[in-house]
Amino acid sequence: MEVEVKAEAKEDARSTVRAIDRDGLERLLGLLREEGYRTIGPTVRDGAIVYDEIESVRDLPAGWKDEQAPGRYRLVRRPDDALFGHVVGPISWKAFLFRPRETLTAAARGEGGALEFRRAPFEPERAAFIGVRSCDLAAIAVQDTVFTGGPYVEPRYAALRRAAFIVAVNCLESGALCFCASMGTGPRARRGFDLALTEIEGRFTVEAGSDAGRRLLERLGAEEARAEDAARVEEGTARCAASMAKRMDPAGLPELLLGNLDHPRWDEVAARCLACANCTMVCPTCFCSTVEETSDLTGSSAGRVRVWGSCFTEEHGKVHGGSYRPEIKDRYRQWLTHKLASWVPQFGTSGCVGCGRCIAWCPVGIDITEEVAAIRASPGPVPDVQGLPLAPVPSPLPAPRAPAASSVEEDLVPRPAAVTAAVRETPDTVTLHVRPPQGFSFRPGQFNMLSLPGVGEVPISISGWDGTAVEHTIRAVGPVTRQLAALRPGQELGMRGPYGSSWPVDEAKGCPAWVVAGGLGLAPLRPLVRELIGRPEDFPEVRLIGGSRTPGDILFVREILGWIGRRNLQTHLTVDRAGPDWRGSIGVVTQLLDDASIEGVYFVCGPEIMMRFAVRRILEAGVPPQRVYVSMERNMKCAAGFCGCCQYGPLFVCKDGPVFRYDSVAYLFERSGF
Amino acid sequence: MSPSEEPSAAKEHKEPKAPVERTYVVDYLTRVEGEGAFYLRVRGRKVEEARLAIFEPPRFFEALLRGRSFAEVPDIVARICGICPVAYQMSSVRAIENAFAMAPAAEVRRLRRLLYCGEWIESHALHVYLLHAPDFLGYESAVEMARDHREAVERGLRMKRTGNELLAVLGGRAIHPVSVRVGGFTKAPALSALWALRADLARGLEEAVETVRWAARLPMPDFRQEYLCVSLSGDEYPLEWGDAIRIGDDAEIPVEDFEKRFKERQRPYSNALQCLLDGRKPYLVGPAARLNHHASKLHPRAAALLGESGLSLPVSNPFESIRVRALELVHAFAEAIDLVDAYRPPERPYAEPAPREATGCGATEAPRGLLFHRYEIGADGLVKEAKIVPPTSQNQARIEADLRKIALDLTALPHDAATRRCEHLIRNYDPCISCATHFLRLEIDRRPDEGDEGGDDGRGGGAGGVAPGEGRP
Amino acid sequence: MTASPTSSSVPASDSEAPVRKPRLGVFKFASCDGCQLSLLDLEDELLAVAGAIDIAYFPEARTAMLPGPYDLSLVEGSISSPEQLEQVQEVRRQSRFLVTIGACATAGGIQALRNWADSAEYLRAVYARPEYIRTLETSTPIAAHVRVDFELRGCPISKEQLLEVITAFAVGRRPNVKDESVCLECKRRGTVCVVVARGMPCLGPVTHAGCGALCPAYDRGCYGCFGPRERANTGSLAGRFREGGAGEPELVRLFRGFTGYAEAFRKESEAHEPQ
Repeated sequence: MEVEVKAEAKEDARSTVRAIDRDGLERLLGLLREEGYRTIGPTVRDGAIVYDEIESVRDLPAGWKDEQAPGRYRLVRRPDDALFGHVVGPISWKAFLFRPRETLTAAARGEGGALEFRRAPFEPERAAFIGVRSCDLAAIAVQDTVFTGGPYVEPRYAALRRAAFIVAVNCLESGALCFCASMGTGPRARRGFDLALTEIEGRFTVEAGSDAGRRLLERLGAEEARAEDAARVEEGTARCAASMAKRMDPAGLPELLLGNLDHPRWDEVAARCLACANCTMVCPTCFCSTVEETSDLTGSSAGRVRVWGSCFTEEHGKVHGGSYRPEIKDRYRQWLTHKLASWVPQFGTSGCVGCGRCIAWCPVGIDITEEVAAIRASPGPVPDVQGLPLAPVPSPLPAPRAPAASSVEEDLVPRPAAVTAAVRETPDTVTLHVRPPQGFSFRPGQFNMLSLPGVGEVPISISGWDGTAVEHTIRAVGPVTRQLAALRPGQELGMRGPYGSSWPVDEAKGCPAWVVAGGLGLAPLRPLVRELIGRPEDFPEVRLIGGSRTPGDILFVREILGWIGRRNLQTHLTVDRAGPDWRGSIGVVTQLLDDASIEGVYFVCGPEIMMRFAVRRILEAGVPPQRVYVSMERNMKCAAGFCGCCQYGPLFVCKDGPVFRYDSVAYLFERSGF
Repeated sequence: MSPSEEPSAAKEHKEPKAPVERTYVVDYLTRVEGEGAFYLRVRGRKVEEARLAIFEPPRFFEALLRGRSFAEVPDIVARICGICPVAYQMSSVRAIENAFAMAPAAEVRRLRRLLYCGEWIESHALHVYLLHAPDFLGYESAVEMARDHREAVERGLRMKRTGNELLAVLGGRAIHPVSVRVGGFTKAPALSALWALRADLARGLEEAVETVRWAARLPMPDFRQEYLCVSLSGDEYPLEWGDAIRIGDDAEIPVEDFEKRFKERQRPYSNALQCLLDGRKPYLVGPAARLNHHASKLHPRAAALLGESGLSLPVSNPFESIRVRALELVHAFAEAIDLVDAYRPPERPYAEPAPREATGCGATEAPRGLLFHRYEIGADGLVKEAKIVPPTSQNQARIEADLRKIALDLTALPHDAATRRCEHLIRNYDPCISCATHFLRLEIDRRPDEGDEGGDDGRGGGAGGVAPGEGRP
Repeated sequence: MTASPTSSSVPASDSEAPVRKPRLGVFKFASCDGCQLSLLDLEDELLAVAGAIDIAYFPEARTAMLPGPYDLSLVEGSISSPEQLEQVQEVRRQSRFLVTIGACATAGGIQALRNWADSAEYLRAVYARPEYIRTLETSTPIAAHVRVDFELRGCPISKEQLLEVITAFAVGRRPNVKDESVCLECKRRGTVCVVVARGMPCLGPVTHAGCGALCPAYDRGCYGCFGPRERANTGSLAGRFREGGAGEPELVRLFRGFTGYAEAFRKESEAHEPQ
């Protein structure tokens, strides 16, 4: 497998090969520090080899070897005093690029309540990573894609990555849990480094993989390596690859795993899995994070801090009202299918680099390769590969923001925006009209991230545009939405966006356009309805079907009444229960879909259970799934695909959605646990 | 002055049944740790009863330790008290190590002493500034006191923070530290982590010196008692080490003979056991007892301040305990600095214990005074029997004796002032009812005796009518 | 669970009418006082807290006891005496938002070991005259008696988390108190796993985070003082320790500690008792 390095092009390695001894290595460390790099490398601490600051070759783990087994790691003495005679430990390089805690934003409330948001001060330290193994080079390349591969670029990661100098080390001995050879990520470092070392009998061959590496090598003034040394690098790494006992067959893994979501093995592994998240913490590619709100006691100064998160926590899958992944089985399956299957369409590569960390550092020794092998050994009935979203999903929808710009910097810092009007829709729901920052434009179906400093940030659909302000319809259900819903004209909130995909309005040109809304789901559909009924020549037949709990819960009643008499709109409203003066239907929206038109294009948004039933009915009517669009909701912290919380199978609700063509989500739509 | 002249905030519980009875009730004493009550009955010039009753519900530590591994003991006994957990850990490891015939290495002893300094600093700074000083200056709390004495309160808080930081560096956290084990520490602190505290400790020392001078200026009630002092005795000013217990001016007994001389008795009105010398004599443990016995072993920085401290030895006014604590703050800071300066991380911070069937005793000096532990350990390393005598149980009889004495002065005071004086007197001991306090309710029942012509206004009533906990919102 | 503000905590401007300061009450039942001491251990913030909220009832720190109701009540300790059964009801009546602080209040505390013992026998072990003592057979958490709005774990609680709960209440946000394993904190701070690298028993994988993963950072296993986290798979972890040589009595003691009476730990310890 080829891993492309995107943040910085590294040139091919095999130009010059030099040779140095330990003194040479010491000089190399010295030169790096002279150039302003903090030198970070393997060192012994607390019974393991960890990456930490090293000041000298003396800090390297001379003569130590790591014995590894599932759930077990011990340092033992080697017969020699090799500096790099170990493989990988519990810490990976992501700790220095995607750091465990990063303050994103600082906010303050000034005189008169005016808000100010700043990107938290960020000094990208220049760090030289000493002893990066080939698997970890691949892992860094994977995270490069996650954080800088577009459409959004995470500026903090990008800055740390640009400032890093990478000194790789080729592995000549395999660890018991290594399986890089089968994953195609090692043991020979081929690219993605500035310098690569191979330790042979107390001496090192050094090859340069970049201009920066070459320049440093020149300054080091080392002698040319002998030809036989260069040959021993190839031989040694090849021998290492051949000796690797553990392996995982990556072939067809996405199909295998996504095709076996109900395999009994998931229950077996769930009985053992502690959902402690250690595998995701030690994994060099896992990138999920969550956000902590901080503030002083009065809320006048506040901040947002990103911390490492994990799909093994309940919080990861949590939205108001519950968790999408309540069971340990859901979480383990999410992790494994993401790592080995969904990752491929998301980022064009597997999320596993074969380093074996998750096996060693699982307290109960769950072995990812065994789990895969068990499913491969007894796959369920041949999966319906038809519905599997295996290729990088070619979105039929307009890409978020400017489709041409593949990389937009997203620093996750909101901007202050003032409320111009607050309209109460129902007892617990308010539409806030917010004057957006200059240059704001959106398409129906997109959402904004709205925030109050010290309180929190939530994704809120855009429910309209009043000519000067963008409308958001908010139900007060949690602490953030409660306080947002309580805002009054003149007060400020934080806004960033718009994000996400939109309703593909023009797909419905000339066809019957069916808009199916459940409860608050009408909010992101309202701008669509406005556009549809405003263009009767394009959309001669629009049908709005809306369901609510009670007549008092129907949103936008006045506007809906104003639509009566539009020649291209029919409106059907239904409620779960009502008093005697209700003249609409009583019951679920599904019953209003009995005459669903096979030519129609369907736009559906509402609670997931309502959408399931509605879509089922629409499809039963013979409508092809390509003509049905749904809008999904998941936990969301960043809205730019960095935090990983909103994953829905291989899709990110934030950047691939929230609007999806039904066929791209059909495979998961009827399941729970995703 | 008749007590009746001063209106009381107290509740009246009964209509008077005899015209000569008066009752003064304060629902509970605050700014102490734990729950208890005091009952004082005075008839004319005669104190009929003085009881310190502790209502803190029992938590049965000595019972629940049985069947637990010796290795768990330091963690479990820490939970006896959130204010002085280290004291419990220190006495327990001493006792268990004695049972296993282990002697801690010198570096372990130094680290323990340093840890203990952290607790003394935290506990004394808390008591001096946040709990005790408001009594001298006439405030109901340190927060209220901070409006007029912000600098002093902040000084106290800073010292307390430094003590807590010292505890956290050595033990992970200030309350219930996690690193103390039989044989030493689970992990020794990094040199850099201790050195990072050096500046705070140096400032703390100067602030402790300032505290001595500040305490010397506090208005001091005049009250004298003859005290029988009891303290741990060794080469150093007693903290974590000492093999003998000093009783009064001349006697010393080995720690393992503690239970031969000091006997606990149970009172029907209290959930805490009282400890008496030779079954009958109240005695004093704590800062004043330590100073009276060991002034010569004070750190030179503290010894040099004796002249400015407002104290003259021996200390016989319990109200002066605030000055003694101030002096001990200086001692603890100065010693902590010396220990930090001399610190080199040990190769291994503990010795592996070899459990055996045996009984061991250990005593150390908690901030509030002598803390004795005894454990009988089985061959399987499990605790067969545990005995813990906390300082507040030992001081309990002493507090009652002090109250008996001050009761006679109270009749001259307005009721509120009298009750405040009683509370103040009790706080002099920094009683820790969680170790032995929380809800210390003070009831003063004064009944003039037959000969007493003291006026009666018909207020008052029977004592003891308040159930523990009554008066809580 | 979510703290809610006493009033709109997003004032539009300083010119608005001053918001009434929330009133705080601190209550104690059977405990060591350590958790409420954590409030006084907020040395840098104590005076600011006293400025932002009205510490109306806090006997350990002030003599004046202002009557309820209290907007925020911090309740320490377990219910272990007959009087406390009534007192806790009154505390609930007087409290708008009741937060239990610490292992005693949320799980019964170490004194809940009596729940497995003969308490009369316990009494005799400590007291010569057990008839003088009034106690219940059990030590139980506050939530066993009254509705609890939020539980702050720990033996003791973390003072940073306590400040977070008070601040979150004042500002109106959900407190950053994560129900996740200690392992996440351990890995975020770069501590080497003591189970994997040293074979020590450690309850971190099944224990609620919040302490900052102290014990492994001090070279010892977690002893569960923050109590079980959600979905605590204690059976699998116990199996691992058994493979590592732990005997059944040791497993009973391991799960039966400072939060041993919390459901997940209670069941696990009972599963290892002799039948």
